[in-house]
Amino acid sequence: MKLRYIAARLVKTVLVAIAVVVLSFFLIRLAPGDAATVMAGQSGFADEAFMKSLRAEYGLDQPMPVQFWKYATAVAQGDLGTSYVRGQKVAAIILERLPNTLLLDAFALVVAAAGGIWLGSAAARRPGSAGDSAVTVLSMLFYAVPQFWLGMMMVLVFAVWLAWLPPFGIETMGADYTGLARVGDIAQHIILPGMTLALYFLASYARLTRTAMIEVADRDFVKTARAKGISERQVARRHILRNALIPLVTYAGLQASILVGGSVLVENVFSWPGIGTLAYEAVKTRDNPVLLGIFIVTALLVSLFNLITDIAYSIADPRVELGR
Amino acid sequence: MNFARRFFSRPTAILGFAIFVAIVVIALAAPLIFARGPFNIVGMPLLPPGAPGLWAGSDVLGRDMMVGLAYGARISLLVGVTSTLCAVGLGIFFGAIAGYYGGVVDDLLMRFTEFFQIIPSFVLLMVLVAFMQPSLASTVIGIALISWPQVARVVRGEFLALRSHEFVEAARVLGMRDAGIIFTQILPNALPPIVAVSSMMVGTAILTESALSFLGLGDPNLLSWGSMIEGARSAMWVAWWTTVLPGLSIMVTVLAINFIGDGLNDALNPRRGR
Amino acid sequence: MLNRRAALGAAGLLAYPAQAWALSGKGRVMNAMMTDDPAHLNYPLFNTRIMQEICGNINESLLLFDWQFKPHPNLARAFEMSPDGLTYTFHLRTDVQWHDGVKFTARDVVFSCGVMLPQLNPRSRAAFSHIASIKSPDAYTVVFTLKEPFNAFLLSLMASSAPMMPAHIYEGTDFRTNPYNFKPVGTGPFQFAEWRRGQYIHLARNPRYWRPGQPGMDGIYYRVCPTSEQRLVAMETGAVDIAMADDIDTVVTARVMGNPNIVARDDAYNGTGEIAIMELNMRRWPFSDRRFRAAFLHAVDREFLVKAINFGQGKVAHGPLPSTAPYYDDKALTKYPYDPARARALLDEMGCKPKQGGMRHRFGIMMIPDGGGYWTRSAQYIKQALSEVGLDVFLEATDYPTQSRRSGNWEFDCDTNTYGTYGDPAIGTSRFYLSSNIRKGVPLTNLQGYINPEVDRLFAEGAVAINRGEAQACYSKLQQILTHDVAMLWMFERKPMFFYNKRLKNLVTGPNGPGDGFGAAALT
Repeated sequence: MKLRYIAARLVKTVLVAIAVVVLSFFLIRLAPGDAATVMAGQSGFADEAFMKSLRAEYGLDQPMPVQFWKYATAVAQGDLGTSYVRGQKVAAIILERLPNTLLLDAFALVVAAAGGIWLGSAAARRPGSAGDSAVTVLSMLFYAVPQFWLGMMMVLVFAVWLAWLPPFGIETMGADYTGLARVGDIAQHIILPGMTLALYFLASYARLTRTAMIEVADRDFVKTARAKGISERQVARRHILRNALIPLVTYAGLQASILVGGSVLVENVFSWPGIGTLAYEAVKTRDNPVLLGIFIVTALLVSLFNLITDIAYSIADPRVELGR
Repeated sequence: MNFARRFFSRPTAILGFAIFVAIVVIALAAPLIFARGPFNIVGMPLLPPGAPGLWAGSDVLGRDMMVGLAYGARISLLVGVTSTLCAVGLGIFFGAIAGYYGGVVDDLLMRFTEFFQIIPSFVLLMVLVAFMQPSLASTVIGIALISWPQVARVVRGEFLALRSHEFVEAARVLGMRDAGIIFTQILPNALPPIVAVSSMMVGTAILTESALSFLGLGDPNLLSWGSMIEGARSAMWVAWWTTVLPGLSIMVTVLAINFIGDGLNDALNPRRGR
Repeated sequence: MLNRRAALGAAGLLAYPAQAWALSGKGRVMNAMMTDDPAHLNYPLFNTRIMQEICGNINESLLLFDWQFKPHPNLARAFEMSPDGLTYTFHLRTDVQWHDGVKFTARDVVFSCGVMLPQLNPRSRAAFSHIASIKSPDAYTVVFTLKEPFNAFLLSLMASSAPMMPAHIYEGTDFRTNPYNFKPVGTGPFQFAEWRRGQYIHLARNPRYWRPGQPGMDGIYYRVCPTSEQRLVAMETGAVDIAMADDIDTVVTARVMGNPNIVARDDAYNGTGEIAIMELNMRRWPFSDRRFRAAFLHAVDREFLVKAINFGQGKVAHGPLPSTAPYYDDKALTKYPYDPARARALLDEMGCKPKQGGMRHRFGIMMIPDGGGYWTRSAQYIKQALSEVGLDVFLEATDYPTQSRRSGNWEFDCDTNTYGTYGDPAIGTSRFYLSSNIRKGVPLTNLQGYINPEVDRLFAEGAVAINRGEAQACYSKLQQILTHDVAMLWMFERKPMFFYNKRLKNLVTGPNGPGDGFGAAALT
């Protein structure tokens, strides 16, 4: 039964991806200027004859539906087209950058979840105290701070004034470390952007955890556990926390599209070579195939991630039936 | 009124409200307080705060930071409020129809909002603004376009819940038409969560506008806090005030709005508890 | 190490990673920077500055030029010009090989100058249109016969204008899509080794290089460094050794110049002779009226633009030629000093009067967002200055493709740009003022639509003048007419800064700077 559900969800994922392809394709085609404009601008001569030959070469002079069909069939085979600007295959470009973004996102997710849950549960254990208010105010602060500015401040404080951490990039330029040294180098570089990315979500996790735990603490089965004489710590961990995890898992799913979409701002401030900076460059250079490719890949990944969290949800709460 | 009393019983709500009012006053009164506009060059660039006549220093072009910060508030508030109003308008329209009529329209709407949840919305926003050519209008339209699905979902949920209530039945029996029922009967009762969502959206819109300006996708003819930070990037390490002050302004404004939003949420939904 | 870092950090300098001012790379390798990957590495195909700087190491030209713009042998070991100025004979070196081992011969010169360069590069096309024929009597001799004497012919063979391209790779192929655009082959001191998109381009030393003792270094890395504050960090911490034009924002130039480990030069780009300009679409009123253009120049305080907006780097330009150019004639220029009252008077006189609201005319200036850098700042200052005389400017933030398209198709009011003059007016300057160079859809042409038959005539005469005196007479008259007409809005002469690690020497050997390659670079 579970397998049937998973199969159905996979089908739904594919359908959504198709919808994304269709909508994005037509959206981007609506924009003024096209490949011929971009490439003509790059090659320095842009007279009518040249543009015409470019359009013919890239099939841009054909009717929309034909263009779309060609594109769709190519995508189904894994070919996301060729970048107007770089001349490389879009799939190759994205594959190069995606791991960097995923690495950053994973780090941020872990920090946000761990930190948020810890803060939230600490606050929930003593509701109304000074510590609790502090956590609430801190969360509100993290919601309100502009991410790109926070990144710049982190660089200013930790990389310039204190000189503890590197100010940008994923690796030390020109050092060409390998093996363990490389891991250490990347680890140093990921801290500032990862923390910047994490703080907003940390606030969310903290608040969610706190609310969920307070709510659960009131419930009957917890009172029963206490009555049975189980220690407070065990009550907290085994009963309250586990049940409070449910909305958190759901929230992680929501987080996915914001993260996987490429944290454009953080990557920009830290020059992190990921999908975010790729998207920004593509927008500035009107590199439509790359933009489309990013939409498609992101949509697929997010759908997959949502599927995984849904399954995790059902494991966490056996009362939930995987279904509608 | 009960509502006002509940709202002002929270210290954070009071604080938020006070700060917000102060910012609005500064923004509206900026042309009166300052003799010259924010683009006027008043001296040499990168003078620190405390230089004669420059409480907040001068920026990378030699313009008065104080004036810039005040005028930046106008843009942030304008974009925040306008784009939220547009998004709410769209959201109420589509959400009401979907929630009231259900069926195919509802399905379509749900698929649409799922689409927006799955694609990277900030990237979509960049694409929209870049293609519409960066300007105030394209910023507002772009932000509204990526935010309305959120509102629509909330509205739809409320309408689904409320449409089978007795007062709706009663209105129908009395011969009221659908449009009338939607706008005069259901909508007023659906307002509380809509208002709560909308107030948070203003803060998010302000953050988004500053992000767009920071990336160079904002209106180049207007001075907003985000564009001040963008212009100060190269000077970040030699003139900290050029980036720190605008950023703090954004943070304080959004914080105040979030406090207000929280307060509204509590005041309008007393049964939801803490 | 920690103490040193903290101390440096406190001093406002950056110390991460704390390298003790050795060369940044391992061995004798230099690190330079680029804002992002170039589209390709075929320099004639589309020459941006970064391509010029990278390809200067890979491709060479027949001649090298010294600080007085006098030619010296390079790939051509000797050359002579016939007394009537119609025949140029080049005797090529016989010991030069392409990076793939094939010998460099006259065939490559004939192909480059006769086919590839004129086809791809508008500047070459204009210069080589004076050629009647190119012949190679033997494998190492090339004879150019001109239609009429063209005194800028030798200058048009600068590496930045006419690099020699390999015939055995490009002849008969579609130049635009040839795969060697991404792995170029040349004769220069460094050869292409690796290109990791988004990270770096690696050039390795050419073991077959013909100049004895060169290259002095083992390789060059051009590392992608997208934002200006990060390029500053990279330079200050010693992570890179070289910062080329515009890598460092003028805001912080003074800071870098104060760094004892870094050498600064402002003459590395004299060969290009760039002038920052603004172009008006003269097909539209009021831009068609000379008085409007004069008022524009009077309204903008260009001294302030250089001093405060560009932090002192540059010099106000009063005409189409930079003050360092050979034919520059200060006496012939009509100058337009900062005088807002005069600007208003001119606008009144031509009928561009203030309407209600106080503004006379509203128009757009296209600008390229450069992350808050110099272009953005100057556009904002100019908008401000013009509003003081009643001109309401709205800035249009575009991107390169859009700007290219709109200016090429004449769909603009005003745009900002910078043009290189390349030493001789016939090469770098005439293209913007000749009525024959009004070509729709093509950038870097006479986009304004400026038409003056006398200017056309003078440019033609100056190019073919036999001796220096005659040429100077033509170009002086041209400068007089062009400045009187305000044929373009010249803002200031750019002197981009070139910074390098003081442990290196011989990085800048001529006015082309990096455009001539780093073959002579060595450790001190």
